[in-house]
Amino acid sequence: MDLKLKLAILADAAKYDASCASSGSHRKRQRRGIGNTEGMGICHSYTPDGRCISLLKLLLTNYCIWDCAYCINRKSSDVRRARFKPEEVVRLTIDFYKRNYIEGLFLSSGIIQSADYTMEQLTIVAKKLREEEAFGGYIHLKAVPGASRELILEAGKYADRLSANIEMPRQEDLDLLAPEKTLVEIENTMADVKSGIDTAKELNAEKPHAPLFARAGQSTQIVVGASPSPDSAILNKAESLYERFKLRRVYYSAFSPVTAGTALLPVVKAPLMREHRLYEADWLIRNYGFSAGEITEGLKDGDLDLEKDPKLAWALRHREFFPVDINTAPKNLLLRIPGIGTGNVARILKIRRFHRIRLEDLKRLRVILSRARWFVTTADHNTDVFKLDSLNLEQRLKPKVIQPSLFEPPPTLISAVTGQL
Amino acid sequence: MFQAVVEDNFKSWRAEARRFLLAGVEPGEIIWTDETRTGLFDSELPDRAEKGVTVPREFLELAATAAYYDRHEKWALLYRLLFRLTYTNRNLLEIESDPDVREVRLMAKAVKRDIHKFHAFVRFRRVEVEGREVFVAWHEPHHLTVEPATPFFARRFGAMYFSILTPKGCAHWDLKELRFSPGVLRETAPKEDETEDFWLTYYRSIFNPFRLKVKAMKKEFPVRHWRTLPEAVLIPELIRKAK
Repeated sequence: MDLKLKLAILADAAKYDASCASSGSHRKRQRRGIGNTEGMGICHSYTPDGRCISLLKLLLTNYCIWDCAYCINRKSSDVRRARFKPEEVVRLTIDFYKRNYIEGLFLSSGIIQSADYTMEQLTIVAKKLREEEAFGGYIHLKAVPGASRELILEAGKYADRLSANIEMPRQEDLDLLAPEKTLVEIENTMADVKSGIDTAKELNAEKPHAPLFARAGQSTQIVVGASPSPDSAILNKAESLYERFKLRRVYYSAFSPVTAGTALLPVVKAPLMREHRLYEADWLIRNYGFSAGEITEGLKDGDLDLEKDPKLAWALRHREFFPVDINTAPKNLLLRIPGIGTGNVARILKIRRFHRIRLEDLKRLRVILSRARWFVTTADHNTDVFKLDSLNLEQRLKPKVIQPSLFEPPPTLISAVTGQL
Repeated sequence: MFQAVVEDNFKSWRAEARRFLLAGVEPGEIIWTDETRTGLFDSELPDRAEKGVTVPREFLELAATAAYYDRHEKWALLYRLLFRLTYTNRNLLEIESDPDVREVRLMAKAVKRDIHKFHAFVRFRRVEVEGREVFVAWHEPHHLTVEPATPFFARRFGAMYFSILTPKGCAHWDLKELRFSPGVLRETAPKEDETEDFWLTYYRSIFNPFRLKVKAMKKEFPVRHWRTLPEAVLIPELIRKAK
């Protein structure tokens, strides 16, 4: 088969994996080679789905022995199949990298023969790139759940990032849609990756030039909307994965109906707004000191409100925390104010050492006053705060018209700087 | 009234700014210009300053970045901020809601973003010059970022000969040294590269038509850059088919 056709098939098959991060790794270029990483991810292009292209994202093959109902590459799908030779992936990566199209390679695969065989094949490509081509760019490899510990530890020598996808928050979901997979097996693979990272860090603390292992850490992905589990189950799972395996990121991928065609699955539009709210909630857990429990307590059916962001929803449920005095409140309370982000919290903490903060200061910092003004007291007289306990505050905070963003969520979480979704 | 003549670079401004600052000249008394103009300007600087003015390091770094902003008004603004910082409030930079601080910080942020997009949107085309492989790119930066943005490419592609051409200046790497030359016209850049077909194939295939979000794309992928990016020719067609 012609290489261009293989590329079309195996890029198409890879696009349901949301991760495209290329940050968090530092590597100097080898003298004879090309490529380095400097910590900051770069998005080299964007497609009209609003997603960034940072890495050449491919499957080594879309043949698969498994039959996961939500996946377009499942055994019973009638999609066209192809398989790259390792040197073809190497050539495409180097050719693209030299033209500055990409930061590196993200290589995943359908499961062929066995988990071990598949993991070996992925590692061969990474090893060729590093050793034969002296390639110093970013490599993200899929950690195949169930692959032996030795193979995972081998892969981490060449990869900047490894990711084993958890897919679903509960075993019942997997039993229904991906009967070959178990949470236990996937989490064992995550534990192997974590032990590789921890061991390398310990060695490095003793000897500064000891080899690193998956220096940009590990991540995972949860498919949203294919199984009946609510957002509360998803967020609790994500929180526990962050804690147990020190993941850098959990990605949420709205289930795309193109992969349907089985009676097990809902034929609906991809739940993009739900995915967006999950990313916001995930952000609150990682950067704002919220727990999954706080975000999801009291939610109807355990699902996030699609009409307002989870931070505002929490504030409306917990008006007893407010108003917060912008000039005296500690950082953890400032972080709870709707419409004020981590960057502005840091600025506010600096400014107020020298200067009493007024509403106009917040305006100049581009705080979202339409949200924040009901929840803060400032050095001047903010009268809106008296409406905090009024019953119609929720009405006031509702968008006047149905936001077109219901189907096109604001891109607030997609950062150009980090290359992360 | 005084006249400050600066070339469009930080070093030149800093030399002038230091002279005026030491003399205690108020921001409103200076016209910043790029060439000497005739007029009724004072030539003798006053001697109003206390001795030994020190400028915080943070200001110098911030100003050096903002100096790449492509607008002449930056010089007067930077001097006003420097003057206020020196003579009225040493902590001024911390007060980010101050209009001058805010504007300079936004300028520096725009420059950094321009450098970042420079790193992202350069597209090399492979050509052969006298039997040697050379990679040549055409890019259109928004600010004066050729000098601060191109050492990145030397670190990353140090084993390749390359040239990056822009209307605001060019950078050339010969495996040893990065050299700069004046800007050129787009026509001087190569028009094609055989790998672009593969790149366009990839771009088309990695797009998910079930997730069309044109606004989100345009926010990070400004339309003004599309004309220098080979893959952008596909965008209208992909949007049309997805609808």
